[in-house]
Amino acid sequence: MASITLDDVVIDFPLYGVRPGLRSTLVRRAAGGFLQRSDDADQLIVVRALDHVTVKLRHGDFVGLVGHNGAGKSTLLRVLAGIYEPILGRCEIVGGVSPLFNGAPGLHPDDTGYENIITCGLLLGMTRDEIERKIPDIGTFAELGDFLSLPVRTYSAGMVLRIGFAIATAIDPDILLLDEGISAGDARFALHARERMKALISRSSVMVLASHSDDLIRAMCNRAILLDRGKIVADGRVDDILAQHQSMSTDADKTSPKIS
Amino acid sequence: MVPQYAIAVNDIATGVASYRIWGRLGWREIQRRYRRTTIGPFWGATSLAIFTVILGLVWAQLWKQDPKIYMPYVTVGMILWIWLNTSLTEAGGEFILNEALIKQLRIPYTLLICTVVWRNSIVLGHNFLIYVLVCIYAGIIPTWNTLLLIPGAVLLCVNVLWIALSLALLSSRYRDIQWIVGSILQIAMFVTPILWDRERLSGPLNALIDYNPLYHYIEVVRAPLMGRAPEPWTWIVLIAVAIAGWAMTLYLFSRFRRRIPYWL
Repeated sequence: MASITLDDVVIDFPLYGVRPGLRSTLVRRAAGGFLQRSDDADQLIVVRALDHVTVKLRHGDFVGLVGHNGAGKSTLLRVLAGIYEPILGRCEIVGGVSPLFNGAPGLHPDDTGYENIITCGLLLGMTRDEIERKIPDIGTFAELGDFLSLPVRTYSAGMVLRIGFAIATAIDPDILLLDEGISAGDARFALHARERMKALISRSSVMVLASHSDDLIRAMCNRAILLDRGKIVADGRVDDILAQHQSMSTDADKTSPKIS
Repeated sequence: MVPQYAIAVNDIATGVASYRIWGRLGWREIQRRYRRTTIGPFWGATSLAIFTVILGLVWAQLWKQDPKIYMPYVTVGMILWIWLNTSLTEAGGEFILNEALIKQLRIPYTLLICTVVWRNSIVLGHNFLIYVLVCIYAGIIPTWNTLLLIPGAVLLCVNVLWIALSLALLSSRYRDIQWIVGSILQIAMFVTPILWDRERLSGPLNALIDYNPLYHYIEVVRAPLMGRAPEPWTWIVLIAVAIAGWAMTLYLFSRFRRRIPYWL
């Protein structure tokens, strides 16, 4: 049974290559914000991306991540994917993870679509036979036709998006992690993609989707988490959380300085 | 909670074992590098062939050696040196180059290191053709000693893998290392017997070569390819350096492996 447990996870990104003089200025300016000095002897400037996050995802949890830009959605997804292993706190991932962040992993513009499908498939943990079996389906879904044997470099932006999406959604993962992007493409493909996503979600055990689209989250999720400045502010039913996010946005609009 | 060293060991083991993936990544890279060229990787081989033939003829005179002995020696030495040199310099930048992939998917870091070594082994395979041609010219026939090539190559790879992994790890944090390594290797080529035979050196300098691991790295494969058995000391150095090197690499890798994506 797939599950992910995060226990008091803190993610700090060290900033290297910042001039010492600039460091103190940065810290003073950002008092109470993201930038701070690290606790160890290095005294590096760090950006705190996740601040003591504790969450448990169980089988059947289809979670929508909401929050402003820079709230920590993408970072949290990468922690859930096992990419950023927390230096502070604990993260336990049970089950195979399939991330779909920005296109298919390892997609190379100079390789043909066909070659890319095989490389990406292998990286995602499929066997050669499995990939060969799925190639017709991927080709059809991405509507590539003969383009499959041409370098990805020659594709239109929409085609690149479609092939990436098609490859990443061709597997049967326990845990599916999605970051934005899937709403891109023309309207017809977006609809197409949504159907495929739904089918994929129904085959997976846990799903986490970061998105700015309330509609998408309502359609795909049964739980939502609101992030703000790296902290989990709220966690619960989709409608409640989306409402809270909405009111937070309006508040922010009132307080942020306006150009008149 | 799984201890860090166990995760590090697991990374190395699964990385090396994913030969299907690094096998493909390496091949694709070579094919991309030479796409739309007519002879592909043989371009590298051609220039190396011209280099060794000219050097073999001219420097044989200089060292007062028989070109039929000197030319195969230089050819084998250069083929191995190019492999070693590019593997190590490329390894330094490999994590940085693959930042996008590392931040997209959890993969064993060792897999990327195997890709570098494999990619350069493909190049070595192409260059090997020159060796075969030079052997025909020089009349070198395989002996039983040639079979020592197999344990020699394995031991050499075990050594190169730890150096490459450590360099990739450290260069992700300290970007200067990659360049330092490049400079060191460039100089090292001239103090390591590759273009010249160690018999040409006399006295204490010759004894110093015994402590140059790069010499033994080359020698452990060069000797069998020349039909000789490597000196016992060469085997000892390779085994000792492999043990010490892997111990250090395991320490570094256990300690800093999870920091890699933060450093990129």
